Amino acid sequence: MTDPVPLPAGVRDVLPVEAAELRALGDALDSAFASFGFREVMTPLIELADVLDRAEEDGVGRAYRLFDDEGRVLVLRPDLTIPIARLVATRMADQPDPVRVSYNARAVRPPAPGKIEGAEQRQAGIELVGMGGADADAEVIAALAAGLAAAGVPDARIAIGSVSLVSAVIAGVGADAPAQRRLWAALRGRSRVDWRAAAADAGGAGEASAVLAELPSLRGGTEVLDRVAAAVPDAADECGRLSEVLRLVGLHGVAPPMVDLGVVRDWAYYSGVVIEAYAAGAMAPIAVGGRYDGLAARFGRPRPAVGVAVALDLLHHAAGRGAEQPDAGIVLVGGCDQFIEDAARLRARGVAVVALPVDAGDAEAVALADGRRFVVRPDGPGWVARDVIGGADIAVADLLEGPWN
Amino acid sequence: MELRICVPLGALLEDSLAAMAAVGLPVDPLRDAGRRLIVDVPGGPTYITTRPSDVPTYVESGAADLGIVGRDVLLERQPDVYELADLGFGGCRMSWCTPDGEDPTAEAVERFGVVRVATKYVNCAERFFEETGRKAEIVKVNGSVELAPLVGLSDGIVDLVATGRTLRENGLVEREEIFTSTARLIANRVSHKMQASVMDDLVRRFEDARA
Repeated sequence: MTDPVPLPAGVRDVLPVEAAELRALGDALDSAFASFGFREVMTPLIELADVLDRAEEDGVGRAYRLFDDEGRVLVLRPDLTIPIARLVATRMADQPDPVRVSYNARAVRPPAPGKIEGAEQRQAGIELVGMGGADADAEVIAALAAGLAAAGVPDARIAIGSVSLVSAVIAGVGADAPAQRRLWAALRGRSRVDWRAAAADAGGAGEASAVLAELPSLRGGTEVLDRVAAAVPDAADECGRLSEVLRLVGLHGVAPPMVDLGVVRDWAYYSGVVIEAYAAGAMAPIAVGGRYDGLAARFGRPRPAVGVAVALDLLHHAAGRGAEQPDAGIVLVGGCDQFIEDAARLRARGVAVVALPVDAGDAEAVALADGRRFVVRPDGPGWVARDVIGGADIAVADLLEGPWN
Repeated sequence: MELRICVPLGALLEDSLAAMAAVGLPVDPLRDAGRRLIVDVPGGPTYITTRPSDVPTYVESGAADLGIVGRDVLLERQPDVYELADLGFGGCRMSWCTPDGEDPTAEAVERFGVVRVATKYVNCAERFFEETGRKAEIVKVNGSVELAPLVGLSDGIVDLVATGRTLRENGLVEREEIFTSTARLIANRVSHKMQASVMDDLVRRFEDARA
């Protein structure tokens, strides 16, 4: 036993196999997002606390904080949408609408005791800024679907709700302020039991009060929206808006998302459609997002915006193993002393060469640990390649023409 | 995919089995489980049996799709799960209890600025005293909570009360009710969406069975 070398709570290292899989997933998402014209931006790991305070977001309370040398409070970004909103509102203020940006970065939040969720959250996401309509909502959902398909999660399921629709229904039945607060607390707490109790006290009559009582449990297709619109006329516009999103998503060639009016986000900046995606094998939604029209104004450049972020670690759990194939490339015995020129020629041809000294002991062990299939050694005037998976020796006359090309 | 249902052992088990049987779930294999912790019904659900306080953990992590658990455990653990239905059984209340005679709570606050509380429900106790404007010093104990105030470890206890018999036998009196609790049906956030129609149907049957 070696002495334990602990890591801070909630963080972990990523070893080569996982790193390669995470990168492949991130690349698949990035290229799907790029096909819609989203361009990558990067924001700093640390922000002034003032930036996050401007978002007026309770959830920001859970964040790592530190001081700079002038005593200002700095925050390790606990969220990526707020920094991107700051970036777009300031650095890209003159960029004509719409602005499409993407990111592949880490948010950091102190782990909650007893929760499995890690402190570092890898997220690949998009933000579509400057378009306030259903067309932008639909594009973000379509880009998410394209990204998840590219990442190899075919059974992923997307659900959409709308916080503005829920607000319209609550206001439409005439709930007073305390009743509204109770309803929102029940919804955010995902408690149908508390919701029903609050809805029963909230007023309304007939079908409107029946719809209110069931609201977070309502899910399905456009028929759900038609029912809500008929029962609560004040919510008809919001229902029509969400129906239009569904129609447009269909035109993108994407399977229609499930309407689920119980979907809400924990962050208060969301103002319209909210999006979640799920896949078997991931314990929590693999993607979350929505419309947040009020956030940019807090940074001095009001513009509507909608976005979504994929949680790469959860996606990784859902995606399973990559295809089982040994990496291309060879382990070349002598590649770093006697046969450096041969190694260089191979690399110039695009073959990855893991170079070992000519007197290397167990080259096969290195090949297995690194996931390379062939160990190549000098053999008289030519070479012999040992297939470490199949176990066979192959005589190779010319390295450049080996089976690895 | 068949549902994986997490069922609490202990006080809620019998009523949970009855409630599940009432909505047409095959529970006989679970009755005959003996010491097995997992019961896989061919063509039906897989049951996972755990202690009640672990049910939210299994459901939140997705090891189980659904679970039955007391509201007291939900309020203590605050898991990120959907609370779908009130199953009605397992009624009890969380209460602040102190030894018979004069209630020592007010004097503790006045003279020492703090109420000493022994409990298994640390979060519930802390929240309750904060919400009622008092500072509490919480001592976490794992069993026989009633003992703590009798030997001077604390001023009182925060604990679940069903009939009140254990309290009476130990000379304790309920002073303040914190909340009432019944058994709840909870669901994993992903399962609730991936298996939407199965879940919605089952919730409807649980509600119809109660009505």
